[in-house]
Amino acid sequence: MFRKIYRYFDILKAVASATYKEWAAYRTHSMVSIFVGPVYFLVQFFIWKAVYASRGSINGFTLEQTLTYFGISALIEYLIMDFADWNLQMLIHTGKFLTFMLKPMSHVYFAFSQKIGHRILGFIFEFTPVMLIFLLVFRITIFPVRPFWALISIILGYLMRFLVDYSIGITAFWFTKTSGIRRVFLLFRDVCSGVFFPLAFLPELWQKALMLLPFQFIAYVPIRVFIGSYELGGISCSIPQIVAIQATAVTVMAIFTIVLYKIGVRRFTGVGT
Amino acid sequence: MIRGLQIYLMALKHNFAARMAYRADFIFSSLMSFVSEMFIPLITFFIYEMGSSFPGWGFYEVLLLQGIFMLSNGVARLTFFGIVSSTLGHVREGTYDLLLIKPRSTLFLSIANVFSPDSIGTIFAAVYIIRLSLDKLVWPGALSWIEFLVLFLFSLMVLFSFSLFMAGSMFKWVGNSRIYEIFDSITSFGNYPATIFSKSFRILISNVIPIALLGFFPASALLGKEIEGALSAALVCIIFLALGLCFWRFMLSKYTSAGG
Repeated sequence: MFRKIYRYFDILKAVASATYKEWAAYRTHSMVSIFVGPVYFLVQFFIWKAVYASRGSINGFTLEQTLTYFGISALIEYLIMDFADWNLQMLIHTGKFLTFMLKPMSHVYFAFSQKIGHRILGFIFEFTPVMLIFLLVFRITIFPVRPFWALISIILGYLMRFLVDYSIGITAFWFTKTSGIRRVFLLFRDVCSGVFFPLAFLPELWQKALMLLPFQFIAYVPIRVFIGSYELGGISCSIPQIVAIQATAVTVMAIFTIVLYKIGVRRFTGVGT
Repeated sequence: MIRGLQIYLMALKHNFAARMAYRADFIFSSLMSFVSEMFIPLITFFIYEMGSSFPGWGFYEVLLLQGIFMLSNGVARLTFFGIVSSTLGHVREGTYDLLLIKPRSTLFLSIANVFSPDSIGTIFAAVYIIRLSLDKLVWPGALSWIEFLVLFLFSLMVLFSFSLFMAGSMFKWVGNSRIYEIFDSITSFGNYPATIFSKSFRILISNVIPIALLGFFPASALLGKEIEGALSAALVCIIFLALGLCFWRFMLSKYTSAGG
């Protein structure tokens, strides 16, 4: 049992390390975030400043809270982002997935290990500098109210993001080229996960519908746990409660992803270009 | 000139045929472009639905601005914006040489090869949004339409300049697909009325990097609002284009085949 765990850990370490080295060669690509993150934040700052000019709060959020939400949202994105969907569809489309069929390990685990290496790089070259800019230039409060629960929630958001993205990539087993599907799914994911604006800004019916989908557990829940309170669709939860719900949702999503992968991989025929 | 047009049409035909090899993905992609373009207007809808607003601009006026921004992006992506991804791919694979050895202008061949039918969805979405907004507003007069068309051409010039800067940087900054994020972040200021920005920012997006031409000035012209600053922005746009062309040529001269 322990030998198996050690073996899996060794694989994870080796793949993550190789991915880190591979992407570190393009570290200036990661450093694009140092420009893009603050610029997007500046746009949000102007938009919401204008919107709040005529009123003190919107759906319980003050201007300061809204800006904090966007700041934390941007930072969490650097910790959890991945490209599992693009990578998997590219492997299937080009036929390169064939090499993974021959390896004595699941591609799901390989992709997850890749994500770890990639995000370690993101932590160094994206998260840390942008956090400093937000902290020192924009004076955003970026310290979690309950650090332990915030950390757990971000880890769960990280897992949920991977599982959702990977499931989108799995659709390539059916469609081969999935740029259209991916585009809409990714937009839908970002809107429904609260990346673009707090989900509490949506009409109440929409908020209730979002409670049934996995997307809020990617970003909205970690951000709210970070801020220290959770509320959606008129339902409030304590922080431990919502993190427990998030953990359950991640487990269900993991089962769904593995089942979908097993069904999808049977359809693979090594389509080359 | 006629030969150039023939080459362009032939390349266009080939691009269309290549895209049609994945017809289902094309149809889906176009439909999804239409749907995904509704995102920014949807945020605007929520803002106005909550009883807030952008000072001095009604809901349909902002919608019109965003529709015009979408239209200029759609036309650019359909016709020339693909030179960025094409240069990115060719330089990374070392196949850009294939364009250099052909007996035509490299820039012309780059543009001819990047016709992107997928953007039709974006153009439809833009036309739909513009039509919807104009139906709810006072229909513009002939002069407003002329002003709009002139400013719209300038907006395409701005986007062409951006594509030259981005494609040019690809010759040295090999394989950086995140260049789009830089572009998207800078131009995202153009999706909203310039009046919401501080004075220094307004000067920046009008007279330094003329992003205000992408939506704000053409929309103001159609709405009969004051377009003070549009002339200087247009002049800056011409300089911006000249700089873009110089930059692209300079970077092309630095290109060394890196593929194998």
